[in-house]
Amino acid sequence: MTTDGIAASSRLPGLRDPANRVSRRAIGYWTARAVFSGATVLLAELAVAATTGFAAPWRVALLATAALFAAHAAIMPRWRYRVHRWEVTDQALYTRSGWFSVHWRIAPISRIQTIDSHRSFGERVFGLANVTATTASAAGPVRIHGLDRRLADQLLDQLAVVTGRAPGDAT
Amino acid sequence: MTVSDAADQPAAADQPDAADQPAAADQPAAADQPAAADQPAAAGEPQAWQRLSARSMIVRPLTDLVRLLPVLAVIVILHRGRTVGGLLWGIAAAALAVVSGLVHWATTRYLITDERVYLRRGLLNTRTLSVARDRIRTVDVTAHLLHRVLGVCRVSIGTGRNDLRGSENFHLDGLTRFDAESLRAQLLARGAGPAGLQAAAQAPAPPGGELARLEARWLRFAPLTTTGLVVLGVLFGSVIQLNNVAEVNLASSGPVRQIVSDFASLSFAQRIVVGMAVAIPGYMLVAVVGYITAYWNFRLVRDGNETLRITRGLLSVRATTISLARLRGVEISEPLLLRAARGARGIAITTGLRVGRGAEHEGSLLMPPAPRTMIQNVAADVLAVPLELCAGPLAGHGPAARRRRYTRALAGALAIIGAIGLLAWLGHASGPALLASLALLPVAALVAADRDRSLGHKLAGGWLVTRFGSLARRRSILGTDAIIGWRIHQTWFQRRQGLMTLTATTAAGHQHYSVRDVPVAVGLAVATAATGDLVRPFLAS
Repeated sequence: MTTDGIAASSRLPGLRDPANRVSRRAIGYWTARAVFSGATVLLAELAVAATTGFAAPWRVALLATAALFAAHAAIMPRWRYRVHRWEVTDQALYTRSGWFSVHWRIAPISRIQTIDSHRSFGERVFGLANVTATTASAAGPVRIHGLDRRLADQLLDQLAVVTGRAPGDAT
Repeated sequence: MTVSDAADQPAAADQPDAADQPAAADQPAAADQPAAADQPAAAGEPQAWQRLSARSMIVRPLTDLVRLLPVLAVIVILHRGRTVGGLLWGIAAAALAVVSGLVHWATTRYLITDERVYLRRGLLNTRTLSVARDRIRTVDVTAHLLHRVLGVCRVSIGTGRNDLRGSENFHLDGLTRFDAESLRAQLLARGAGPAGLQAAAQAPAPPGGELARLEARWLRFAPLTTTGLVVLGVLFGSVIQLNNVAEVNLASSGPVRQIVSDFASLSFAQRIVVGMAVAIPGYMLVAVVGYITAYWNFRLVRDGNETLRITRGLLSVRATTISLARLRGVEISEPLLLRAARGARGIAITTGLRVGRGAEHEGSLLMPPAPRTMIQNVAADVLAVPLELCAGPLAGHGPAARRRRYTRALAGALAIIGAIGLLAWLGHASGPALLASLALLPVAALVAADRDRSLGHKLAGGWLVTRFGSLARRRSILGTDAIIGWRIHQTWFQRRQGLMTLTATTAAGHQHYSVRDVPVAVGLAVATAATGDLVRPFLAS
């Protein structure tokens, strides 16, 4: 399947795509993260395998793990990039995320209580940031991952302005 | 607040709250107001900080001591050789408890103004909590055994915040019953006339407002709930603790050994019969006792059109008051056994009260296990919706959702059978075990059929009704005005079947209520119909 095909298949008939893509650098960040976690597991497995003197079943397991993580690191980031989209209107925050499973979130601006931005070490290396908006529902935080750092700052300001216009939190 | 204070404030006199101040003034605790000067500036007018009842000074040390009992016992045991040391430790702990009780009483004060309620506590780290009165959803008055002996109770105020740490909970432990009752009436009966306020403060609501009360025939549902298991767990825990602390080994005591050896001499079939003969009546007895303890004197009362009151309890009593304006819905829960006996349980969906595993302890319980028709009627009554929403048929989710129920149940069963087969192949499991595991397949099919029958939703008159589950079937009736966002989730498998899971997020109850495995077009139509302005801009044109 081509990546465009993937993007098409992650659409929900009847629901339009959110307007904006996340930063292209997110692909690099997600790849790095996938490689890092894969390498961690592989190293642990190597250490255990070494104690058995690299017996045949362990060699098979090592190869299988490596292949699995390599495939994950190769496919997931691009797939995810096609899926992740976001949009802010005066009325609502609308996001799509995921890859194998896809999540859509619609949160009314008038119900947003807090907005914050968080940058992990990995995100800082890639010049990225994520933005989280919480509502009065404990099940309701809306996260936008992999935004360009400057764009995230702008979005924070924009959200602060639009939420300021809508009082009340409907609890 | 004294009568003279109230008279000094013409500005406050036209507020509904001011009218009930004379009633509050004849309470004994209101007499001392040393701290009238240090009220928050926001309070606006000189109302007085009030203290807890002096009796709370006794409650707290005693509860602390009970809590410390295992520790004290360990200390005493460790110091068995040196009794003087053990005694000193015990005295020190008791003294500490008494002092902490004194400090708690001396440092805890509360203040009710027209706008806000303030709570101040702490000796070294002072904390002042305040909550706007129009944000108060629930008031929960509880009194455990010790409280009741001393005639005091604990008042918790539910504000609907979900991220509270323990120290930020708004509660007053150790108010006299009268203070608690007038506080409750004052906090929630806002907007009712002064006469209504006084009546609410002094007498229980008129019998006409009673929606339900405990009936003896409900006891038949007791053995069908897990209440008995919880009681057994607690009993078992305390026996173990007693064993450890007292260093008495019950298992090696005479009577227990006698019973064990008698039991061991029976044949296999006899063991089963004897075991059942003891366990089943024993469990039923425990369950019934547990049910009575929790729901004794249960009453569900509507105070005018303002609030719902739920009172219950044999040893520790609890009176929960829910503001009707804040009641966002009702959940009718039917665990399998209860459902088999046409029983159910009702849970209020409201902000400020938690639901879920601790529902009975957290106070959101609306109706204890009782006949299902009764629960449905009460739910329709408190929500003022047609009975059809609480009892009527729902729209099913179609053949794809049905296939998914069967696929998932059978895949789970096959995974277990496969694992047992693998073990058998490796020589760790016997052939008969593998054969027996095949019985999982029809069971899984039955569960799938039942889950398919349960699955459904309905949207009517501003209410979203969803139902799902088999072992624990739940029907939730949620007001669409309480929906503060949507989540749509689609796994890769759901995508292939044209299904999605639509979740309404809300600040009340479970925080989210799902319509599972609904066909995409139907789900989007539900979301659009429920909150059109929110969803419509994102529909494909």
